[in-house]
Amino acid sequence: MSDQGKAGAAIQLTNVRKSFGRTEIIRDVNLTIPRGQRHAIIGPNGAGKTTLFNLISGRFPLTSGSITVNGRDIAGLAPQQINHLGLSRSFQITSIFPRMSVFENIRCGLLWSRDYRYSFWRLLGSQRALNEAADQLLERLNLHNRRNRPAGLLSYAEQRALEIGITIAGGADVILLDEPTAGMSHSETDYAQQLIRSISDGKTLLMVEHDMGVVFGLADIITVLVYGEVIASDTPANIRANRAVQAAYLGEEAA
Amino acid sequence: MSPLALLRRHWVWLAILFVMLAMPFAFYDWSRGRHSGFALTLMSEMALMAVFALSYNMLMGQAGLLSFGHAILFGIGAYFTAHTLNWIKASDILWIPTELIPLAGGVGGVVCGIIAGYVATQQRATAFAMITLGLGELMTAAALMFITFFGGEGGITTDRVIGSSIFGVAYTSAWQVYCLLVVWSLIAAILMHLQTQTPLGRIANATRDNYERTQFVGYDPRVVRYWQFILSGFFAGIAGGLYTLVYEIVTFDTLAAVKSANGLLAAYIGGAGGFFGPVLGAVVVVGLQSGISLYTSAWLLYLGILFIVMVLYAPGGLIGVIGQHAPIARMGRMRELLMPYARALPPAVITTAGFVTLIELATHRTIGAAQGKKLALLGIPMDSADMMPWVVAVGLAVAGTLWLRVEARRFRLRWNALIEDAKALGIVS
Repeated sequence: MSDQGKAGAAIQLTNVRKSFGRTEIIRDVNLTIPRGQRHAIIGPNGAGKTTLFNLISGRFPLTSGSITVNGRDIAGLAPQQINHLGLSRSFQITSIFPRMSVFENIRCGLLWSRDYRYSFWRLLGSQRALNEAADQLLERLNLHNRRNRPAGLLSYAEQRALEIGITIAGGADVILLDEPTAGMSHSETDYAQQLIRSISDGKTLLMVEHDMGVVFGLADIITVLVYGEVIASDTPANIRANRAVQAAYLGEEAA
Repeated sequence: MSPLALLRRHWVWLAILFVMLAMPFAFYDWSRGRHSGFALTLMSEMALMAVFALSYNMLMGQAGLLSFGHAILFGIGAYFTAHTLNWIKASDILWIPTELIPLAGGVGGVVCGIIAGYVATQQRATAFAMITLGLGELMTAAALMFITFFGGEGGITTDRVIGSSIFGVAYTSAWQVYCLLVVWSLIAAILMHLQTQTPLGRIANATRDNYERTQFVGYDPRVVRYWQFILSGFFAGIAGGLYTLVYEIVTFDTLAAVKSANGLLAAYIGGAGGFFGPVLGAVVVVGLQSGISLYTSAWLLYLGILFIVMVLYAPGGLIGVIGQHAPIARMGRMRELLMPYARALPPAVITTAGFVTLIELATHRTIGAAQGKKLALLGIPMDSADMMPWVVAVGLAVAGTLWLRVEARRFRLRWNALIEDAKALGIVS
């Protein structure tokens, strides 16, 4: 039983609360995301979606409650330690290494998982397996023809793709994407959706997203967050039919 | 790799080696068959300052860490080296060849880096800069208090002739020491260059670009900073060790704020963005310090003006300015810049002459005249009490500036057109 429970939950939130000063942003959230699930969090602006991400990835400490990632409590862990548990995230505001080349960006994402750590006695140029892996990932992201360009000079959509690349490079099995398609055109969004589907194959995906096409197209389970509280967490079909959700969120958008 | 391909890839290093070995012969006194002592000391200083500036850039350029106390690593390296030399001299058993003595400086730098870096690298950005500033002051004060190690105001004197050498060289002449410096500074520079291509070096770049993102790819930016600081300490310490070999005396100003500032100035003026920038910067800064200071007491002012001009107009430093020409050179159209440059040269010279004359007149009036010095520029004697030189100087400065503005506009038009063409060809984005 316990073994199954451990294997089952990639992320588990228990009575999670977060306050900034007197304002409570996350109010008693309970959520279990099993391994291999594609899970989307939706909700109006200011619902606390990004805050939730920041709590799970260790950017902010919890006020109360607990979060486990792959069965381990993350209380007191720094972001890089949570990353070592197998969790990786992207950012709503593109967060890449702008002065380094696209290739270097991806390679930096690969280094830790391949045990290079802080070594200063190995030359990266002669690490064939590492460089091939970086090039393969660039190919998958369709960025191979931008390989040697400084990342800061890429177009917005390309930077978003690169950000996803850095996020998945380390081989994390729990992936958090914060609004991966924000600010993209229709065709770019379609492409991004395909990309997210392929990179999250066999992994746990948790994403915050505003584009309902992407959410309903990708997610196995959708959680609706309103004012820091979960008002529903169900399959896309049930969420669409849920009245409370319609009133709180979907209805507003439709109207 | 074929020899030709190797040459093409590493020609910069060979060029540096060639210049370092050939330059002293430009000052060689053929009639007496002797090297110019001044030229050798000047070039030794340039070489060791280049190593120091490169080690500074391991923090500033590579890791985005602005340090105001980098000289403590240099100074401790210098003191370690002096004590090591003295131990060897006094001891019957201790035997280290002179060729390996700069390593003692490296050890000193690492020890200092481990201690000072532990405190400084807890923070980044402004807090890091403030901590290094404090450490620099603290070490300077300590140097004057702990006499046994630092020797107080008199410093520690030593003798590099310890009678031990792998190659049987005595190191009694400045030329022999200079050759040792050439080898060591090249080794240090090559190692620092290689370090930029290691996992630590790249992740240091990553923390510079976006320190938070590096955490989410699994790295602790603090550990990255700490390692980078210690390694940079090793090379700064080696520079300090070379300093001891050249001067055979180490005083507290090897670790004081002025030395730190020189590292910063060299790295910035040369350009922190390119690996060789600090080398260029060290040559310029030392050249101004040791060369120009022979002719004018206002050399520090010129250094300051150069620094401000670079910060304002060429934040990428000298190496950045050179780099901006790369796309035009790749198009094979550098020749088209020849005329615009040639046209800008006369007004630039006139402007400089005007301002230099003004500065020299002013320093002569305030300091030189009281000391009874005579002022002469380019062999033209002038009296700072007269009206005439001032009028001429102001005239030159104003006319030169106006003319330079016209030529600068013309230059920019040509330049922009060339860059547009390069963009059209896809050479720059």
